[in-house]
Amino acid sequence: MLRHILVTSNMAARGHVQDPNDRRLRPIYDYLDNGNNKMAIQQADKLLKKHKDLHCAKVLKAIGLQRTGKQDEAFSLAQEVATLEPTDDNSLQALTILYREMHRPELVTKLYEAAVKKVPLSEEYHSHLFMAYARVGEYKKMQQAGMALYKTVPKNPYYFWSVMSLVMQAISAQDDKLAQTMFLPLAERMVEKMVKEGKIEAEAEVQLYFMILERLGKYVEALDMVRGPLGEKLTSELQSRENKCMMMYQRLQLWPECNALSYKLLLKNPDEWQFYLSYFDSLFHLMDKSWSPPNEEEHCVEGPVQTTVAEAVKFVVDRMEEEDKKDSRPLRGPYMACLELIHRLRQRGCPDEEELGDPLELMLQFFGKFGDKPSCITDLKIYLHLLPPEQHTQFKNRLGDLVPLGEVGEDGFGFPGDTKVLQRHLCVCQLSRVLGLQHTLDTEGKLCLITELKAHYHYGLQFGKSCLKTELQFSDTYCLMVAHVYIDLWTETGDENMLWQCLGVLEEGLSYSPSNAQFKLLLLLLFCRLGAFQPVVDLYSSLDAKHVQHDTIGYLLTRYAGSLGQFAAASQSYNFSLRFFHSNQKDTSEYIIQAYKYGAFEKIPEFIAFRTRLNQSLHFAQVRTERMLLDLYTEADITSSLEESVKAMGLCPEEDDIPWDNMRDNRDLTVLFSWDPKDRELTEEHRRLSLEEESVWLKVRSLTLRLLASLALLGHAPSPRNSDKTNENGVSAKSSTLQTLLSQLDLTLQTAAQITEKQTQYPFLGPPSSRLASALSSGSCHCQASALQLSLTLQELETTGLDDSSELQTQICNSFKSLIVQLQELLSRCKGEVLEMKDSRLMTQPSLLETLVFFVEPVVLSGFQEWTGSLQGIVTQALDHVKGQEASLTALKLAALTLGVGHAQTQEECGFTRAAMDKVQTSYLGSLQELGDLLRKRADSLKSLKF
Amino acid sequence: MTTLRAFTCDDLFKFNNIQAVLNFLLQYGIPFYLQYLAHWPEYFIVAEAPGGELMGYIMGKAEGSVAREEWHGHVTALSVAPEFRRLGLAAKLMEMLEEISERKGGFFVDLFVRVSNQVAVNMYKQLGYSVYRTVIEYYSASNGEPDEDAYDMRKALSSDTEKKSIVPIPHPVRPEDIE
Repeated sequence: MLRHILVTSNMAARGHVQDPNDRRLRPIYDYLDNGNNKMAIQQADKLLKKHKDLHCAKVLKAIGLQRTGKQDEAFSLAQEVATLEPTDDNSLQALTILYREMHRPELVTKLYEAAVKKVPLSEEYHSHLFMAYARVGEYKKMQQAGMALYKTVPKNPYYFWSVMSLVMQAISAQDDKLAQTMFLPLAERMVEKMVKEGKIEAEAEVQLYFMILERLGKYVEALDMVRGPLGEKLTSELQSRENKCMMMYQRLQLWPECNALSYKLLLKNPDEWQFYLSYFDSLFHLMDKSWSPPNEEEHCVEGPVQTTVAEAVKFVVDRMEEEDKKDSRPLRGPYMACLELIHRLRQRGCPDEEELGDPLELMLQFFGKFGDKPSCITDLKIYLHLLPPEQHTQFKNRLGDLVPLGEVGEDGFGFPGDTKVLQRHLCVCQLSRVLGLQHTLDTEGKLCLITELKAHYHYGLQFGKSCLKTELQFSDTYCLMVAHVYIDLWTETGDENMLWQCLGVLEEGLSYSPSNAQFKLLLLLLFCRLGAFQPVVDLYSSLDAKHVQHDTIGYLLTRYAGSLGQFAAASQSYNFSLRFFHSNQKDTSEYIIQAYKYGAFEKIPEFIAFRTRLNQSLHFAQVRTERMLLDLYTEADITSSLEESVKAMGLCPEEDDIPWDNMRDNRDLTVLFSWDPKDRELTEEHRRLSLEEESVWLKVRSLTLRLLASLALLGHAPSPRNSDKTNENGVSAKSSTLQTLLSQLDLTLQTAAQITEKQTQYPFLGPPSSRLASALSSGSCHCQASALQLSLTLQELETTGLDDSSELQTQICNSFKSLIVQLQELLSRCKGEVLEMKDSRLMTQPSLLETLVFFVEPVVLSGFQEWTGSLQGIVTQALDHVKGQEASLTALKLAALTLGVGHAQTQEECGFTRAAMDKVQTSYLGSLQELGDLLRKRADSLKSLKF
Repeated sequence: MTTLRAFTCDDLFKFNNIQAVLNFLLQYGIPFYLQYLAHWPEYFIVAEAPGGELMGYIMGKAEGSVAREEWHGHVTALSVAPEFRRLGLAAKLMEMLEEISERKGGFFVDLFVRVSNQVAVNMYKQLGYSVYRTVIEYYSASNGEPDEDAYDMRKALSSDTEKKSIVPIPHPVRPEDIE
């Protein structure tokens, strides 16, 4: 049925050899399959000489042409066949494949529309037509095609394809009223008709009926349906009926039923967390309403209802006792439910929580049972707020009593005898950090803590001697925690030595545990903060991020790549992400079609939402924009090539393709582990502010890009003085775009200034700040804006002509002078040593690198105008500065640095720290070289402009 | 203590909470996941911790000829994040997949596992699976070179009253010979 989505590799394997044409075509298929396009074309030509009317050969030739880059030829050849409205399988399928490769799926619909007209009884062509519409999302036509198909061949699936297409019209309708009053009711009636006629066959049909009722808000009807005979068809998914009933009870606020069903399900499976939540929710709703059971015997259709705290307490306590009695491994659910119930009772100010016991004792009990599981911290973390602050230390000490460490040695520490005890000890460390007990230590205390954690880390390595390279060391978490304490010290004291040692300890950790993603992520973050992008490239690629992860964590890479002057690496990292986003469109439509075929109707809107979520991704818009800006900044040397670049990118200054109102922030901002206490954690407000900041920065960048594009296209419009008509229709129209964009940029910069005033600080392990603040404070944004404004004025001058423009000329002269001053100031902000040694300490100033990049961007931009020596002067100064920095960096002999002074670091640890330092130094040098190269290119092109 | 629910596309965005290998839960390409979601959504179950972290998932399918009594459930992927191991989650997810296969009238459930993965082999044995046959060079390295053999492990379901489906085949087979 779906043969038309067969990929070419299957073409050769097709079965029917009876048709002599198949035999003749086969070699061409084979050539195409093997990627031998030239031979395929030759073979097709040969065949066409003998058999002029073998249309399929033409199409196959077109496929060969398309694949060898001859798109136009391929297209016209294909159209020759298409206009004949072929009805043979071979041609249709080959054209389908060709159109798909041309990214013209809409042409496939035309093809099958014609085929269906000629062969109206073909089930195959009708269904191809339906799928062709599905691929392009033509829901209304799908509805009709589905019905036409059903009328041709009355099979249920076809009928329901048509129904589903109505649901899709409802989902995609701009006007929800239309969905609620027209599409969905119609879909409902169509299903009802089948129900009345007793024609419902498959589970998928019932699922679809449920979807329709749910979307119509007809929850009572949906509930009746699920409970009734139709509901009996819902068997594939486990607990499908129960889950659907529960959902409806909650929507309808039928708390007695909700409560009774949760209760029943929990008796069956006391580890199902979601049902504890619905059990408690419903219980308190019932209490608030003072619900009492009706007089009849049964409380409700789902059975007995619980309405008092006493009953809930008993229920939870009973569940825990059941677990205690079990010989097999106890489940965590009941014990967690007990803490959850205390939490909820306390929220309500209900005194009965005491009947469940003291949270401290309960948590100790939980730790006793599950402390050796790595998940213990994740579980207990949620309920630590039940402990009053004055109990925190006591809690930690009592936990410690439950961890049998060995005898205390010379260094004053006792160590765990096996991995279970090690895990328990780790859990205590994690809990004490989450409780904030580590944060309150003074510097000395923190350094002692580091010593202790390091000792445990090194001791624990013995348990993992036989670990594979892909496995983690049991004691890795100690190492990560050491790094966190170092970061605390660094951020509190500003002592960069702490940072260097932190890098050292992470590098050491990675050497024993080369797969540990958290080590890599934290190293990556620290190197980025240090402005050293080079080591980051390898770290990121060793994470082996997969598809969606380019969207969720790609920001870690792309935020810093360009801003630190590592342009080649930046370009590469944008490409990683872009490749993924571009493949998404194609991937999803294939599976939307499969979902129709297999009747997975509920997945269809889900797949579409998935595609939309990726298309509207903030990160996608960012890499798209940055990629093009980067190309313009680095590649465009002379004006003509700028124009070419802009055209090649398909950039249209008038068009804004960023979904500003529906931007999706898919970044995973908690990908780095953190055991920070609640008050230091990432909040929703942080997330909101970060998105706001990133969006405004994106707006600045995308406006800059569009302005550049607009300038490039304008600069090469036909000379206005030669033709007045072009003047009116061409250039002036474009310069009004320029004007609009400039004033938008101006407005955006005002908003940006307001945002940066807030000086939002994010948690260290949370999102990095955007480039917005430094772009503004360095003066780069305004420099760019001035340069762009100047270009516009120059353009006006060209239009006006030199003779009557003395005012304009003065204006230009002044703007130019002021721009030079701005650039000079920007350059002066770059002065200083990016890396230096002082009193045997290594100090960095990565912001200097970032500012240098900010200097380079507008300079590159300014090169588009026909100017003069003063700009050259600045570029020369900048080049001298870069050269100077390179020289002093190279001269810096890190080996001379004595490490381990003041704070004991072993020889080995020093080695790792030194390695990290070398990486930073090399990376700085790399950035400077790339920046220098770019400036030199600019200087050269400025020189050539002089002539 | 876990919420077990149907896997959705949005879960793909949450798969980073992993300490070891970052893409631990994301071994396959998006098309692969979408294909399973489109075809066997009931066989794709995800486990979620109370804090919202994804703990692991199972993904499977039903296939084989009913007439030849080869209709069965297949475990395509079973992953539990390292920090949620030793909680019995894998066993729970397997139990669910078996139950779904029972309802479809499957004769057995099968899965492939690297012969070197002793931990997994032992776990499956504990869950009632036995080695049915060895598949030579079933796994290949990223360069396409053959990498390792697989055990095809099976567990009979109630439709297979005589447990015919799990009688081991003594000679190893090649990947192209398996259905």
